[in-house]
Amino acid sequence: MPNPPTTIADEFGIALANLADSATGLLTPTLRLGVTGLSRAGKTIFITALVHNLLTQGRLPGFAPLAEGRFIGARLAEYPDATIPRFAYEQHLASLTANPPTWPEGTRRISQLRIVLRFQSAKWWSGMRGPATLNLDIVDYPGEWLLDLPLLGLSFAEWSAEALDRAGQPGHAAEAEDFLRELEKTDATKPATDPDAERLALAFTTYLRRSREHGALSTLPPGRFLLPGDLEGSPALTFAPLPLAAARHGSLYAMLENRFEAYKDRVVRPFFRDHFARLDRQVVLVDTLRALNTGPAAVADLETALTSVLACFRQGEANPLLRPFSRRIDRILFAATKADHVHHTSHDRLEAILNRLVASASKRARFAGAEAESMAISGIRATSEGTIREGGQTLPTLIGTPLAGETLEGQTYDGKTEIALFPGDLPERPDSVFEDGTPVALNFLRFAPPQRLERIATGDIVLPHIRLDRALDYLIGDWMA
Amino acid sequence: MKPIARPTGTVSEPAEATRAPRAFTPDRAEIVETVFEPEAEPDLVAPPPRRMGGFGKLLWTTGGILVSAALGLAADRLIRDLFATNEYLGILGLAVLGLFVLAVIALVAREIFALRRLRVLDSLKEEAARASIDNDRKRAGTVTDQLTTIYAGRADLARARETLTGHLPNLFDGTEVITLAERTLMAPLDACAKALTAASARRVALVTAVSPRALIDVAFVIYESVRLAGAIAALYGARPGFFGFWRLAGSVLAHLAVTGGLVLTDGIVEQLVGQGLAAKLSARLGEGVVNGLMTVRVGIAAMRVVRPLPFDTMPQPTVRDFIPELVKVTQDAAK
Repeated sequence: MPNPPTTIADEFGIALANLADSATGLLTPTLRLGVTGLSRAGKTIFITALVHNLLTQGRLPGFAPLAEGRFIGARLAEYPDATIPRFAYEQHLASLTANPPTWPEGTRRISQLRIVLRFQSAKWWSGMRGPATLNLDIVDYPGEWLLDLPLLGLSFAEWSAEALDRAGQPGHAAEAEDFLRELEKTDATKPATDPDAERLALAFTTYLRRSREHGALSTLPPGRFLLPGDLEGSPALTFAPLPLAAARHGSLYAMLENRFEAYKDRVVRPFFRDHFARLDRQVVLVDTLRALNTGPAAVADLETALTSVLACFRQGEANPLLRPFSRRIDRILFAATKADHVHHTSHDRLEAILNRLVASASKRARFAGAEAESMAISGIRATSEGTIREGGQTLPTLIGTPLAGETLEGQTYDGKTEIALFPGDLPERPDSVFEDGTPVALNFLRFAPPQRLERIATGDIVLPHIRLDRALDYLIGDWMA
Repeated sequence: MKPIARPTGTVSEPAEATRAPRAFTPDRAEIVETVFEPEAEPDLVAPPPRRMGGFGKLLWTTGGILVSAALGLAADRLIRDLFATNEYLGILGLAVLGLFVLAVIALVAREIFALRRLRVLDSLKEEAARASIDNDRKRAGTVTDQLTTIYAGRADLARARETLTGHLPNLFDGTEVITLAERTLMAPLDACAKALTAASARRVALVTAVSPRALIDVAFVIYESVRLAGAIAALYGARPGFFGFWRLAGSVLAHLAVTGGLVLTDGIVEQLVGQGLAAKLSARLGEGVVNGLMTVRVGIAAMRVVRPLPFDTMPQPTVRDFIPELVKVTQDAAK
């Protein structure tokens, strides 16, 4: 990165905001937990399951405060910042428990939720004071937005060069064709007109969208083009990369350059300053299976995306003296989601692949003094497990209902039939997922949410999960020790 | 003078200094691979029970044969004599002898079962530690299965068993399973064992504080220790019989000897508390505390020996936990 992403003024603002947080948090400590992941990684499910399990004190045997009987209860509270959308927990839960249940809609913008936890500390000096309270602020934001953070250090010319270079690569040819044709027709030095800018921006956005759809994942900034949130159509999102030209005042080039700067200043930087730089803990959810389904190119793409996303974290050991002013992410959890789509005997391999994908990021985190751990988890378990004997061997299978439209061996499922699926063995050597010509094509079908949910004594449903309790214990357990 | 050189002997050429590379088929090679065993905690390993030497075995075997021969002969003669006196008396004697033999067999069987239970607990601990270290779900599953069988008859653990078996299908990590088993099944037992220990220690402290003779406290400490160790073993599901108890006592003593060094810090605290109290109150009261702490140590050692899961998640009880209560008891006694 040529320039650091923040200016001194930003740093000052962040420190002030942190100080304000600390002042209000003197009585009740607040833990800000960031949940991110590229789209469709399972952020919404993760948060919904986590909140539901905390609220109903559901099945969390591995969450120490609950297992040790020190957890008193939790409730949702109003988030202090009235301008930020609330995480629509109730709607998401409703769609999961509807008949038939559906997966809730994904994250499209930043949203937050505050959940107040009551517990008693096991340490004698804090335990003496009786029950304590912890505010857990869950910050949900699209991982695509993180792709923008490196832009803070780039100028328009640098970014254009990078973006055009990528568009010209053979791998992107099919998707970028239209945009490049548009670009050729445009003269960047002629006086700026809005229709020109819109035409270019539209072509550029289409290119980004397409390359994400085809390549399963994308590493292409700017992220707001893919998930605009509430900025859709605004001038700050109406620009496109241009080849370097003599930038006369009033030319198209100058206009787009201004807009790029505005995007950086008005969109990216506030997000960084107000939300991202003030996290204590971070979960990075990774949908490894989807990339594995698509093939080595997608896996490599995912790795690049993760590495560039994770490079933006402000991580490091939390300094107790400096904590009022500066917050750092001192624990990062990398979670391979949808672990319920593979048999539990393959979880080790799934974790190994995840470890391989986030290797450089977790090394960086550890170097900075933060802790990093990886787990294969599933916020809501959609399958059960079984075995099938075929041809003299026992195959570990998953039993569940594939979503309508999923196909395997030429058969398309209607979303109503339950099947037992053997999705293929994950490779033993994590590196092989990057190599072409893997012997077995994997096929992890997407399953519908679980249908018959158990209820606990209070009438609340139990959302089955895989290792959510361990993830939770890792993320907030030490604050409730 | 000209320089002269004379041979003093042949220097053997270092033949092995640089060796040319050669390739062999792998089946000729002797595989020497270091096996890294997961390192068990030092206190996990109770010293193995002492084995008898050859002469000892010979002594016991021959002695046993002689005694059983004598007993058999005596019984045979007794029955014959009884028959000679009166036929009915003989039949009665035979019936009583039969019952006696039956009782002996039952007792022996019980002892054998008791010994086996102790051994099962021992091996369970090892298995659990291994499952936890290797994160082996299958092994952890067998451990919890065995645990639920051991505690199947315990009404007070019904709920804990239910919780454990309810959670098991949703857990996929050996470590987590063992942790859960420890938290659900062991926690109530630990609390019980601690209460037993504390009660024993209290009694010992009181008796020592008020007893007129040193001999009485020694006897009482021994009596309480034996009772406590038995009670704790029964609590964790060992229910030792007579021989089982001897084995248990041996393990506890060995454990105390082994961990003597480990709990040295605790020991110093005991000493300080004891001495300080002794100076403040009276020698007898201080001794009461010290004797009570001795019992506490026996209780803790017994817990560590018979507890079927190692102390992993739950904190291990320390002597220090019991000190305040003991001091209070002795102070109350002083009033």
